[in-house]
Amino acid sequence: MSNSLQRTTAPWRIGVLFSRTGFMSVIEETQYRGTLLAIEEINAAGGVCGRELVPMSYDPGSDSVAYGHYAKRLMIEDEVSTIFGCYTSSSRKAVLPVVERLNGLLWYPTLYEGFEASPNVIYTGASPNQNSLALCRYLMDNYGSRFYFVGSDYIYPRESNRVMREVLKANGGSVVGERYVSVHARWQDFLPIVQDIRRIRPDVIFSTVVGEATIFLYQAYANVGLDPRKMPIASLTTTEAEISAMGFDVGEGHITAASYFQGIEGEANECFVNRFKTRFGGDVSTNMCVEASYFQLHLFAKALEQANTLDTEILRAMVLGTTFDAPQGAVTINPNTGHADLWTRIGRANREGQFDVINQSREAVHADPFLIGYGRATTQAGNTQ
Amino acid sequence: MSEAMRRPVGSRETFGRKSMVQELADLTAIVLAPVDDQTTLLLRELQRYRMRVQQVWPMPTSVPGDADVVFCEYCPDLARRLPWIPGDARSALVVIVPAAEPIQAEPLSHATPNAVLPRPFTPNAVLSSLVLARSQFGYERRLRSKIEKLDENLRSMRTVERAKAILMATRQMPETEAYGFIRRQAMDRRVSASAVAAAIVDSFELLGYDPQH
Repeated sequence: MSNSLQRTTAPWRIGVLFSRTGFMSVIEETQYRGTLLAIEEINAAGGVCGRELVPMSYDPGSDSVAYGHYAKRLMIEDEVSTIFGCYTSSSRKAVLPVVERLNGLLWYPTLYEGFEASPNVIYTGASPNQNSLALCRYLMDNYGSRFYFVGSDYIYPRESNRVMREVLKANGGSVVGERYVSVHARWQDFLPIVQDIRRIRPDVIFSTVVGEATIFLYQAYANVGLDPRKMPIASLTTTEAEISAMGFDVGEGHITAASYFQGIEGEANECFVNRFKTRFGGDVSTNMCVEASYFQLHLFAKALEQANTLDTEILRAMVLGTTFDAPQGAVTINPNTGHADLWTRIGRANREGQFDVINQSREAVHADPFLIGYGRATTQAGNTQ
Repeated sequence: MSEAMRRPVGSRETFGRKSMVQELADLTAIVLAPVDDQTTLLLRELQRYRMRVQQVWPMPTSVPGDADVVFCEYCPDLARRLPWIPGDARSALVVIVPAAEPIQAEPLSHATPNAVLPRPFTPNAVLSSLVLARSQFGYERRLRSKIEKLDENLRSMRTVERAKAILMATRQMPETEAYGFIRRQAMDRRVSASAVAAAIVDSFELLGYDPQH
């Protein structure tokens, strides 16, 4: 064991777990890039307490079980205690027993269904009260109250639809259809769904389809000639990355609720987008998952600078309450829940594959993963503009 | 204590439950240790408790994970050889610790054993490790399933709340009576209270009833 009083220049080793292959790579590759960019920036600025960050990275290949095994490998063989990663809830739930049993810290940069608060996880993506509530309200005010749910068949879409259904019902709306497709769904799997949508004529299609399948849903929608101005697909998961993969013309007019879009104003975001494009090419966009992956590393570095140790107990105590000026605006890790207080925004995709912000919160919205105060939060999460 | 009060080991049927030692009978144990006098003692002790025992050596790259209890010789890469991920163990694990040869703390901790058995073995040490491992492993498993149920309940609470609101409004029931109604229905139908609540909420939604308005 190293003597803590001794000055050392040995690097800080951290774990990184994103799928760069398989059906989730379309979004997880971008999270990997956001992570990498932040690590490079921190190291270029002299590291943390004079020590470099060194990522130990594995590609679980979009297989949830593999996340658990790589987490074990990271914590036991690579002796890493802090891990950045996971997109799907299934992969987070695979890593959870490992970090909880060995007392590690997982940084999870993805929106999810809420109803969890592990002392071994820092959640930096949106909880339902930070996206679903405002989205539901906006859609009901502007399009109507008959929603049709389409989702990928795993934990997040089902749980997230449960929350959406509840919010919708509470505001006098109704669910007129609910369909789930495999995470491996191909374009033909969406044909019967868009036919059904055409028959039922809902006011809004609420999508929690993730990964590659997202592209096929929007393409199937465009192929049968449905009109996003009258009946948009509203999503919590479709980002600039998916829009770019499906084609700008296919994505145009559809709606997403997120804490961050590349198109938001502000100097912090401008710098971030420029650096991202310089590093990864001018034609790639940032998105909410890149941004969360990026700011959580900076927030980690800020806390580590104070803690000067990767010991989970000490580091976590430093992380709670820490604020960082993220590209989306100032974000804080809420000490009560270990979730980030984030901004709520609603964007509409334009012809350039970017989102025009059509509604946003006045300030960061407190994370409420268990929806304890959701009755009040509906109005709080409300809008300027 | 008089002689008569002292009961022979393994006869606590009068208490209406098996003794700890009786519970050991017919459990399966895998012993990963080289055959020597010590291991022979260990195997004999386990068999004395009528456990079904299998001895394996040399140490396989992947430890068999289908026994109730695994006794396994300490090695620096033990955690890697275990077939499960930490926090999701399928067997109670006893790590056998050498008498003199130094071991390291991290590898031992990473293997997350439920008990240790230091050499040289004695019948008392074998029984102690067995009892401790079984009890710790069982307790951990019960806590985990409790957390799972709590998580589930937390979610279903919301449904129960809404069902309660519907009953209070449509049947003019006071709050406690509405709860009682849901609980009684659940007992009569032998389903969970949250299932009854979900059925109430769904059927009222179907009829277009909205408790919030």
